Amino acid sequence: MTDNEPEGGASAASPARAPKAKPVGVIVTFVVALVAIGGVAAFFMSQTYTSPNYPSGLQVATSLGTAVVNGQSMPHVALQFQTYPDSTGTVDGKPVHASGNPSWPAYGFTNEFQVPAHSLVTVTVHQFDSGGSLNNPFFSKVAGTVGGTATVTDPSGKSQTITQWDPNNIGHTFTMRGAPGFDPGFFLNVPLPTNSNFPTNSTNQDAGQSYTVTFSFISGGKGIYAWNCEYPCGSMVASFGGVMGAYGFMSGFVHVV
Amino acid sequence: MSFEDEVDAIEADTILGGEPFFSRAGGKIFIIWLVFTVIGVLIGFYAPHHLLPTLLSPEGGDVWATIVFFTVLAAPVAAFVYALAFYSLIAWRHKGNQDEPPPDAAPQRGNGPMTVLWLGVSTLLVVVLLFWGITVWSAQQISHPNTLQVNVTGQQWIWSYSYPGTGVSTHTLDLPLNRPVQFNVTSEDVTHGFWPAALGVQVDANPGVVTVIRSTPNKLGNFTVQCSQLCGLYHAFMNTKAAVVTPQQFASWLQSQGATPSAANTEAGTTPTAGTTTAMASS
Repeated sequence: MTDNEPEGGASAASPARAPKAKPVGVIVTFVVALVAIGGVAAFFMSQTYTSPNYPSGLQVATSLGTAVVNGQSMPHVALQFQTYPDSTGTVDGKPVHASGNPSWPAYGFTNEFQVPAHSLVTVTVHQFDSGGSLNNPFFSKVAGTVGGTATVTDPSGKSQTITQWDPNNIGHTFTMRGAPGFDPGFFLNVPLPTNSNFPTNSTNQDAGQSYTVTFSFISGGKGIYAWNCEYPCGSMVASFGGVMGAYGFMSGFVHVV
Repeated sequence: MSFEDEVDAIEADTILGGEPFFSRAGGKIFIIWLVFTVIGVLIGFYAPHHLLPTLLSPEGGDVWATIVFFTVLAAPVAAFVYALAFYSLIAWRHKGNQDEPPPDAAPQRGNGPMTVLWLGVSTLLVVVLLFWGITVWSAQQISHPNTLQVNVTGQQWIWSYSYPGTGVSTHTLDLPLNRPVQFNVTSEDVTHGFWPAALGVQVDANPGVVTVIRSTPNKLGNFTVQCSQLCGLYHAFMNTKAAVVTPQQFASWLQSQGATPSAANTEAGTTPTAGTTTAMASS
């Protein structure tokens, strides 16, 4: 009996029956497809967010020992960065951005920071760029810092403690929040002032006048926290295109480890 | 076996008479359809419990019921397609000469009663689903007295909220229990999606336009507001901590954000109550 002949042969009383199917190939294909789909799904679900490689590197916060906040002792670290008007500019010959773009400002010298978890982080920002009016005055308020304040030193050297700045004289903001699953309640916002006398370009980016803003916050749990500037200095829709929408200029990540 | 014999064998397997129903193709397909339908119905009843967040409003309950109802209705339809395809792949594979494709089968003639049946059933299903959806949606369009107004602004990549009449603007969303809320939603830049999933509502935030959505939180709890429209680099990070709290807690929270006591109590829908010490659900 060949493979194509029905088992038991045909008879005059009943028509020939089709040979039993051999569905091994179909079943194997079906199972392989299920496993492949499940495997791909499991892979993506297991991934945690990691920020893309940034050519300017990672600034690791400098240790300042320990501090006591609200009666609780914790590590104390420091970060410092600048906001420059020209991402193709230099400071003492050093580019402020690894791959600057003409007419784009930048946070320099990197947009990626690393701080320890549950620590007091003191940040000092030197703001060299011009600016203008926020399209949402909500971001002119200080939020999420220790004491709810920041200290601003203007170009003349005068210092003051602020809870809010004039929303019409904002150069940039430092606005930070946690990724989903990483402390979603975390929120930090500090306006970085400017005034109408600030130059829009400078050969040596550190040569112009600046506002110095100092604030402290308590870092959350381990994870990735995204930050970005909420003053729209880009192009296209509501000035949130261009530099605002390109990774590594007006946004970045804080790695809490 | 020739191709003609193969076709004859299949037809003998499927036409009336001969073998018992469940021994023939139709019966086997019916069994497979039944199994797939049961699986689909079970998924419809139990999946939402595991996939949806804890729902804090009657609108959320309506969404839950809609998901279950639509899934259960769709299960037998999908099961029929899968059963037929599955059985065809297994039992009706070409078993003749593998070097030559089989000749075309005889042309199929239309079946009037069957066509009327599937068109009728499909139309009935669609009408039922349409009526259900309009009913659920309409309930969310009704405005209630003593509604709390919350202005929601989406901006890459933060949600901010303000409570008119109190001077309060925040990055977190706190709502009083059992009070209707109207969200007036807009965007400062691109289209975002305002999605407090636990409240069972969602509406796009469009620049230059105010869209409105309503809900009445009826359970205490914490939840998250997410962005449901891809809006740029940090769309995945555009989420907000939110909470449904007691009216007294809401009034206290408004005061802590800078509202006057009278404005806070007015917006909370309460009169001042001494001695309220319940812990806040939100920071």
